[in-house]
Amino acid sequence: MLLLYRLSGKLPDEKIIKVLRRDAFILIKKILFFILLLVLPLVLFYIVVTSIYPGILYGQISYPIFVLIVSFYYLFLWVFFFFSFIDYYLDVWIITNERIINIEQKGFFARIVSEQRLSRIQDVTSEVEGFFPTIFKYGNVYVQTAGAKERFFFHEISNPDQVRNIIIKLVEKSKAAHHT
Amino acid sequence: MTFPLYIFLIIYFVFLLGWLVFSFIAVYHMLKFGFLNFTTFFTVFVYIAISFLMLAISYKYLSQIDWQMNVTIFGDLFNLEFSF
Repeated sequence: MLLLYRLSGKLPDEKIIKVLRRDAFILIKKILFFILLLVLPLVLFYIVVTSIYPGILYGQISYPIFVLIVSFYYLFLWVFFFFSFIDYYLDVWIITNERIINIEQKGFFARIVSEQRLSRIQDVTSEVEGFFPTIFKYGNVYVQTAGAKERFFFHEISNPDQVRNIIIKLVEKSKAAHHT
Repeated sequence: MTFPLYIFLIIYFVFLLGWLVFSFIAVYHMLKFGFLNFTTFFTVFVYIAISFLMLAISYKYLSQIDWQMNVTIFGDLFNLEFSF
């Protein structure tokens, strides 16, 4: 398990400034989609029982098959919702006074952990694009580092402008400390 | 064609095995890579508790069914005699 106070490769005097996840709205979207998938079969079932096939609950064959399908559907819906939550919960960005750490869960068996020292950061860009991101104040932050083609990507985080400012201030402090 | 109803139950158990594997992977991920905090343990607990509840409800309904019953589909379709 991950211990925040025992980061891997922790540097001397390193302090955690911020731990970020995707905005809560992303989780709410997942929950709403789950509720829709939870309720939709009930509505369909109601339509089938009342108008198409009223005998579904009394048939010697249809009833057992119905019970099996319902059980199968809700068990798998539940496990896939849990996976969806894990995907949200395990994607974390940690900003310390020395570096930024990106921990990303990709699918079931892929996990990417990367880090970048603040002193190597050259450019930080925040982006809020779209209707919901503007309303709920979430977006992306791109961190460009020296020499690296790939950028650090904080995906759908809350208050990206504020996070960009925090990183810029920390980078300035870090560069000043390295020059003295 | 006639076959016992429990064939459906066997197919269900095969899928249930797959579901168990997925559940194990999910819980393992959470406990292995999650932060050591209340949220991690609470969500795992809620997942396991609701899973048990769903399995118990499924068992309640499935145990009331006579799985030894035979199912006939297509009637005598495969024994039809044609005369020309």
